Amino acid sequence: MSASRFHHFDLPEEQSTALKKAVRLEWITITAVAGIVVIVGLTAGQSQAMRTAFVEDMLSFLPPIAFLVAVRRASKEPDDQHPYGYHRSVAAGHLVASCALLGMGLWLAIDATLGLVKGDRPPIGLVSVYGFELWAGWLMIAAMVITAIPPMILGRMKMKLAEPLNDKVLAADADMNKADWSTGLATIAGVVGIGLGWWWADAVAALVVSIGIIKDGATNLWGAVKDLLDSRATTVDGKSPHPVIDAMAATAQHEAWVEQAGVRIRDMGHVFHAEVFVVPKEGREPTLRQIEALTQRCRSLDWKVSDTVLIPVGQLPEGLTGARDSSSSPR
Amino acid sequence: MTGWSGLRDSRGRRCLVALLVIVLGLVGCSEPVFPRDPEKSLERIMEGVLRVGVSENRPWSDVHDDGSVTGTEVDIIMAYAESVGASVVWVTGAESQLILSLDEGDLDVVIGGIRSDSPWSEQAALTRPHARSTGPDGKDEELVFALRLGENALLTSLERFFVSEGLEP
Repeated sequence: MSASRFHHFDLPEEQSTALKKAVRLEWITITAVAGIVVIVGLTAGQSQAMRTAFVEDMLSFLPPIAFLVAVRRASKEPDDQHPYGYHRSVAAGHLVASCALLGMGLWLAIDATLGLVKGDRPPIGLVSVYGFELWAGWLMIAAMVITAIPPMILGRMKMKLAEPLNDKVLAADADMNKADWSTGLATIAGVVGIGLGWWWADAVAALVVSIGIIKDGATNLWGAVKDLLDSRATTVDGKSPHPVIDAMAATAQHEAWVEQAGVRIRDMGHVFHAEVFVVPKEGREPTLRQIEALTQRCRSLDWKVSDTVLIPVGQLPEGLTGARDSSSSPR
Repeated sequence: MTGWSGLRDSRGRRCLVALLVIVLGLVGCSEPVFPRDPEKSLERIMEGVLRVGVSENRPWSDVHDDGSVTGTEVDIIMAYAESVGASVVWVTGAESQLILSLDEGDLDVVIGGIRSDSPWSEQAALTRPHARSTGPDGKDEELVFALRLGENALLTSLERFFVSEGLEP
């Protein structure tokens, strides 16, 4: 797969390995989810619980698929119709993944609330396993223990890769895995509760975990929309401005011929698109060689910012980070 | 991604371990202690009466003019009631009426040739099939009893009785 290259971006060694690992993890995820669908289908029968589990499983397919499609598209070269390349496919993937996550949380919450309001009492009877009869609840619990383990491991591994790759689809998918296994644990608690005669246990447990899933989904969706609106690039968790912004502004600022410098960087998905505006000092108009040297220095700050352009101007435009006269970053 | 996401680490693992311990502890419990009925149906039945709704559906159930009931499903219920030390109170009526009473908690079981693919699964818990027959359309159908939803001790107890009597389609 040509995934280790994003058109003119040659990925550094670390990122290239991480990306290959992530692609492999996502294929494993798809296989695991397919296996989980089978296990849940065999144990839950054609009950209401089965329908809920089925919807969840179908939604769990979306983030890994979104990731694989996004990575594939992002590796395409820019062309006449896509002069900026295909990096935005990652942002689109992030939008899909976060909608899936939010959808799963909402579905879980609505389903559980309706169940509580209607007073649904889940019937769980006997099941025969190789000639032994046991309460089907035990089998469901066993199935949930088995199906909770793969997402627990996969989610953790993905979170570790999301950071170096600057991949928010991967981060959203890790959140989805977390949603998967926490729903599994909730089901275990719910089934044990039903066994104790608490018919509401399943719904309450689902409601509790749905809150966390909705929160993760909303955070991701908010981040995805902000990226599509070209907001300032942030770290993968979306909490703080990406440090490369300040670093690049400082680099430009320290150039001997630069009077004023401002930077704006937007997140295209895996990579950033950076624009550095510089006002040359009076009587020190830069040569082409100087401009290229500074551009190169900015570019080398981080692998993500190879798409960096330097623009000498008479006056800085609005909304840049790092302009000398305004020390804070205006929005 | 705060607080809750902390579960991902050691807390999540500890939760899982704790759950497993609870689950293994509960495996030691036997029926009818586990699963239990939310409305304690089985406990009540074992101390007194099994309230059974019957709708006529020969040969599974037959309601005579004098109010007495016979049929293969009636026989199963009588044998089950005896096995748990209960006497049977019969209530006859139309299937839809009986299911309504069941949902209200006025009956424990409804019988009368109810099929496993019947539309009652929203209002009642259907047992595993106890017999097979050929329907009017010539297709095979499996016959079940209807119980009050969520009374899982009763459901398990009745299904265990089916198994022990070799009642299978």
